[in-house]
Amino acid sequence: MAAKLRAPGWYRAGAFTLLGIAFCFGLTTLIRALYSYDPLIDGYAITVVAMLGAPFFFLVGLGTFDYWFYWAAGRPTRAEDHSSHGAKSWRDYFKVNTDHKVIGIQYVCTSFFFMLVGGAMAMLIRAELAAPGAQFVNAQTYNGLFSVHASLLIFLFIIPVFAGLANYVLPLMIGAPDMAFPRLNALSFWMLPVAGTLMLLSFFAPGGSFATGWTAYAPLSTDAPLGQMMFTIGVQFAGASSIATALNFLVTIITMRAPGMSFWRMPLLVWANFSTSLLVVIATPFVAASQFFVLLDWALGFNFFNAARGGDVLMYQHVFWFYSHPAVYIMMLPGFGIVSEILSVKARKPIFGYRMMAFSLLAIVVLGFSVWAHHMFVSGMQAWIRVPMMITTAIIAIPTGIKIFSWLATLWRGVLKLDTPMLFALGFLTMFTLGGISGVMLAMIPVTIYVSDTYFIVAHIHYVLFGGSLFTIFAGVYYWFPKMTGRMYDERLGKIHFWLTFVGFNLTFGPMHVVGLQGMPRRVADYAEQFAGWNLFISMASFVLGASTLVFVWNMVASWRAGPKASSNPWRALTLEWQVSSPPPIFNFDAVPTVVGGPYEYGVPGAVHGIFNSPVEAKPAGSLVTRPTKE
Amino acid sequence: MEAASVSHLEHDHHGPPEANKSSRVDPAMLGMLLFIISEIMVFGAFFTAYFFIRVVNTDSWPALGQEIPWAIAGINTLILISSSLTLHWALHSVKSGNRFAFKVGMLSTFLLGACFLFIQVNEYIHLGYSPTESAQGSIFYGLTGLHGAHVFIGLTLLLMVTVRAFRGHFSAEHHRGVEVPGIYWHFVDVMWVVVYATIYIL
Repeated sequence: MAAKLRAPGWYRAGAFTLLGIAFCFGLTTLIRALYSYDPLIDGYAITVVAMLGAPFFFLVGLGTFDYWFYWAAGRPTRAEDHSSHGAKSWRDYFKVNTDHKVIGIQYVCTSFFFMLVGGAMAMLIRAELAAPGAQFVNAQTYNGLFSVHASLLIFLFIIPVFAGLANYVLPLMIGAPDMAFPRLNALSFWMLPVAGTLMLLSFFAPGGSFATGWTAYAPLSTDAPLGQMMFTIGVQFAGASSIATALNFLVTIITMRAPGMSFWRMPLLVWANFSTSLLVVIATPFVAASQFFVLLDWALGFNFFNAARGGDVLMYQHVFWFYSHPAVYIMMLPGFGIVSEILSVKARKPIFGYRMMAFSLLAIVVLGFSVWAHHMFVSGMQAWIRVPMMITTAIIAIPTGIKIFSWLATLWRGVLKLDTPMLFALGFLTMFTLGGISGVMLAMIPVTIYVSDTYFIVAHIHYVLFGGSLFTIFAGVYYWFPKMTGRMYDERLGKIHFWLTFVGFNLTFGPMHVVGLQGMPRRVADYAEQFAGWNLFISMASFVLGASTLVFVWNMVASWRAGPKASSNPWRALTLEWQVSSPPPIFNFDAVPTVVGGPYEYGVPGAVHGIFNSPVEAKPAGSLVTRPTKE
Repeated sequence: MEAASVSHLEHDHHGPPEANKSSRVDPAMLGMLLFIISEIMVFGAFFTAYFFIRVVNTDSWPALGQEIPWAIAGINTLILISSSLTLHWALHSVKSGNRFAFKVGMLSTFLLGACFLFIQVNEYIHLGYSPTESAQGSIFYGLTGLHGAHVFIGLTLLLMVTVRAFRGHFSAEHHRGVEVPGIYWHFVDVMWVVVYATIYIL
């Protein structure tokens, strides 16, 4: 037992967490004693301090900091014996691991866990809204449900799942043996469960979970019960995790590309993550700061948002949206990258306008910082900001449009292979375009004033984040499933999943445009009798949508356990990750490959992307006769 | 066919292949620079709060009846700037192989930084108002406190470097472990000059 408590792992993590809580208890009580506060022992103060402090003790106990502590103290660091690379059993996924492939799978599985929890909350929300009046939950719980639903799906699903997919494939794609900072990579993963656990635990806090929406506007949030702090602090951990990963991606992409892999030979997924990481590094500190303000106001009586003492409430919204609008692109650009990969491979054609695709990503990064106040058209801010923000918002449709039309041109006269990843990619193309169009409508000030805080907004955000981001996530998971697990998924179940999702999605969120335009307000547990018909319909459709996820989960679990073995390159793709075995060898490559051409030269005779050193592998990848083991 | 797919399993690995260096930039240095960009944005958000008080709402700065001790903080600024100079001297010394000057430089940098933090805390104690009294006070404590936290982080890094310096680590060839925390310390100093100029002087 003593040895278990000394070695990094869950036992030590548990012990350290208890130690951390005790430390925070002591620290808080000591400070209160020094200031002679009454009462000396205050449960709220201790809880808030412990929420900030105990996670660090947990992470130390788990072993994420071990190496750095040795290094910092100038003691000899333990030589890297690579024993922590690779995962031999499912237990290895519950340990601190520095292998980017293991971390990628950890990320994807953890974020899908939170997706299922958040999705279950959506089911409860729809059950409550199936009829007017109160059904299952009271208004306060309802507010908590939609707040936690949104926070989990944004901060613990969409943002990290993209980081997870990229974590797995990005180093392979650029011919790197691992990420630039493997230990930082492990740390950034382990901060995620901390953030998610905090947010979920908020349901058990006195006063219920945080119920101010994922936007947590002040001063609503600065007067909220304790549960609000679990959002405020949870976001800090999720944000730190995402900044650390983004920094890691940027350094990896800049310094570890294979010889010959110039920026203009990088697959678009790499470009997309490069752009996303820039956004994360620059924007995410703002959400951290906005939540620091809330924390200081709530816990220590600061006056950032206390209008009676000169605070400015609107400042919260400016700071928050200066992150959270770029966050929309953080949640979308990696999906653009995934779709670019899949459309090109499945249409057997070079991607249309490769350079414009990359430039439009960078244009979105730059423009993304100039549009935040379009979320605030009805907030009462200075009227002169509105029109410039409307114009810049409309301009963003141009780089996005370049991408949409380039994808369409890629499909033009291609030999389309309509399997599950392709279906989701095509579904993304249509649904995201619809979401984009309602987005342009919402950029127009008069429209926003009319539909603000109605279900039209809910419909728009779900067309963009579900029809957009989630469809690309599904596409990406199906596309790289053979590479990540070494097995093929069930194509028939995949197609059933797609059609159930696609139909269920449109039946759920399509009618929300209608009830929104008719004036049904969002974020309210009850609604007027006139909306009852549509809402019953939406609720039933949403249960179909929820059920479709079960098909997906079953397919993934069953295929991972006992699916047919996948060949190394079932899609006959050119990018480097498909040129190694499935799953890839423990260090990715025997020797780093040399890149001699573009990544999307499908159907171009004699085109070569990467050359491997040993003779077997030196053949141009596109000419390898490999077929999927299934079909 | 299966045979054509590349199998690496039979190979016996002893470690990962050497990654290709596709940039002349040192990865650790690049990572630190990107982290500094993030840090600048955190300060940017706090400056936004300041901006809203002074420019958007045109409130008085500091709040009526409150004072900001610009003179003591000015001396403190000089202390922090001189710590940047000693740090540069230390780095220069280790590069030219002068271990004694390196150790003295690191130690004096650390002590100057600690001195800054001590004076800052002392300033809080004698300020006479708390962050709970006005938004101006909140922002004053918020910005200087945020900077103080960064000084603390920087000092922790410098302490590690100093400990390792006295243990005989680093040499004329290997001094990245001095350079990377060093650039962070310079950032903390430059940030202080900005904070001092806006909060205390303007």
